[in-house]
Amino acid sequence: MLWILFYSFGYKPDLYHSIATDRLSLGQYKLAASSTFFQTFMGTLRISLTGTALCFLIGFPFAYWLSVRVPPSRRPIFLALILIPFWTNFLVRTIGWRILLAPSGIFAGVLHFLGLHSTALEVLDTRGAVQLGVVYNYLPLMILPLYVALDRLDPGLREASKDLGAGRVRTLFKVTIPLVSPGIIAGLLLVFIPLSGDFITATVLGGAKGNMAGRMIYDQFLVAQNWALGSAMAVVLILLIAAVVLFFGLIAIVGRHIIRYRRRVELAIAV
Amino acid sequence: MKEAPKITRILASEEFAHRFSRRSILLGSAVGVISGGLLLAGCSTSKSPKAGELSSAAPKPSPIESKLNMYNWAQYDDPNLVTAFTSAFGPAVQIDVYSSNEEMIAKLSAAKGTSGYDLVIPSGTYIPQMIKNGLLEKFDKAQLPNLAKVEPALLGRSWDPTNDYSICKDWGTTGYMYDTKVIKRPMLTWQDFIDAAQHEASGKVSVLDSPPEVAAIYFWAKGFYWATEVKAELDAAEKFLVDDFASHIKAFDSYPGIKLAQGGYALSELWNGDARQGLLASKNPERYKWVLPTPRTELWMDNWAIAAGVKNPVAAHAWINFILDPVNAFTDMQYTGYNTGIMGNEEKAKAAKLEYLDLIFFTPAQIATMDTGEINSAQARLVEMYSKTKAKAG
Repeated sequence: MLWILFYSFGYKPDLYHSIATDRLSLGQYKLAASSTFFQTFMGTLRISLTGTALCFLIGFPFAYWLSVRVPPSRRPIFLALILIPFWTNFLVRTIGWRILLAPSGIFAGVLHFLGLHSTALEVLDTRGAVQLGVVYNYLPLMILPLYVALDRLDPGLREASKDLGAGRVRTLFKVTIPLVSPGIIAGLLLVFIPLSGDFITATVLGGAKGNMAGRMIYDQFLVAQNWALGSAMAVVLILLIAAVVLFFGLIAIVGRHIIRYRRRVELAIAV
Repeated sequence: MKEAPKITRILASEEFAHRFSRRSILLGSAVGVISGGLLLAGCSTSKSPKAGELSSAAPKPSPIESKLNMYNWAQYDDPNLVTAFTSAFGPAVQIDVYSSNEEMIAKLSAAKGTSGYDLVIPSGTYIPQMIKNGLLEKFDKAQLPNLAKVEPALLGRSWDPTNDYSICKDWGTTGYMYDTKVIKRPMLTWQDFIDAAQHEASGKVSVLDSPPEVAAIYFWAKGFYWATEVKAELDAAEKFLVDDFASHIKAFDSYPGIKLAQGGYALSELWNGDARQGLLASKNPERYKWVLPTPRTELWMDNWAIAAGVKNPVAAHAWINFILDPVNAFTDMQYTGYNTGIMGNEEKAKAAKLEYLDLIFFTPAQIATMDTGEINSAQARLVEMYSKTKAKAG
């Protein structure tokens, strides 16, 4: 980390050396934050925020269903179904989508058969393909902490809520979600942070259109061999991720205080 | 001139993955390449029984080391040749792969002669600086009698006029291929490429994943020298690429041939060997058309060279001499689809009825339109505009 920070103030002296630090400057940051590259950073945040939200929207109902509705004896089967693809190499899993989404691939065939889509499928090498890929790749990281949190939640608490007159929705929002919030936070962070730095999905599925910051950094280190610019970009990405996490963290804390404050008022009236 | 990543084709899937090799996997095309009895001939030359013939042509050097460490582009030599070499001469061959000249150079410079590699395969334009930085060892030409088999035109190139450090491994050029169902007009020049990319092929265009060759599209179209150092020309190229061209690009792909031939792109900048692979793999090759564009284009050459601090010099020389042998060089050419530059290759290829010979061999008039370019002060600038183009395309 410190090396990256240090390198980010350096420069690329010539073709034969990747880094020099005898003259330190902020030049690389100026370049990394220039409008052309910044566009990619913003695109990355859009993909990672949408991806995290989608993972949550898919992962939470699934984890809830798995821990509440599925009998304990069958749960290992479903967990295995989630985990086994996860054991496969990340790259291979992602390349699999290339085959599925190919212009004349399986998905195109199914859509064509259903009469939904007649021309060649044009999903590959777009932002949409990257979005799909990251949701697929990071979904298990969302489901697992949510499942653990939900599984540990005593079913008696939900029953108690029901007995005290709360409906399903109210129980979900007033009892279940607050109690599993550590799991939710863990899931969100586990998905958001690595997703923001992902470069494989973007490289495999994104073509020129679905570029992500992780890939841009990869290119600077390994293709352009410009470690200084790559380091500066990495630092910018870290700062952006930290800013987003802080921003949502603050919202969560403020939100919680507001809710508590309002509830306290309710209680006071009730007493 | 290929500092771009060269991806290996993994699986039988689409274009991802050729980050390592100039030669994508054989696929079914190999069957087409190595037609009929040639298959047998090609194989038998690379098996040990016949290797006896080879050693008579090149007396077995002794004493030879037991190992040979090669730092090469992936899948850049026929594995049968490697096996044949080991059984004929003894050294076990260990091959590590790199995906760009920069990567290889960075490793060699960092190791300062202790990299442990004996052989490397730099592209021509990188050689002068490598020599200057002491990264290469001089050949002992007495151990390389087969240097005499190399086409004279490929000897004494500007980067190593006396071939003291390097000898042609193979060479090729850059052009483009397009889908005639999408682009119906005749295509001849780089300006046609740009124009079609901005119109009927917009959003279905791939360009090489290589900084100089992306910028070169503009330089070639304008008739500028593609290794120009003139600031105004570089500025104009950057403006064109970032503002007028990036948004039409679908992918930066160094091996688009097969994907193009499957309908993945409508227009691709590519190397001749890759275009040929695409045509060989295509079910209806007449739909796709290769263009060696005017007015100017590239001639790149990869070269055998011995790394400084070589541990197994005798084995390294033996390998180079072995691969320059006309029979072996022809086998290797069939494997990669790039001309290994040994005299007699073209006649043999005609006799063997290889397909798409015009994608391996070029006429003197065509070769006269090709420049090798050079590595110069513009390099950093080219990389920067390439990064910007990539960011802008996304």
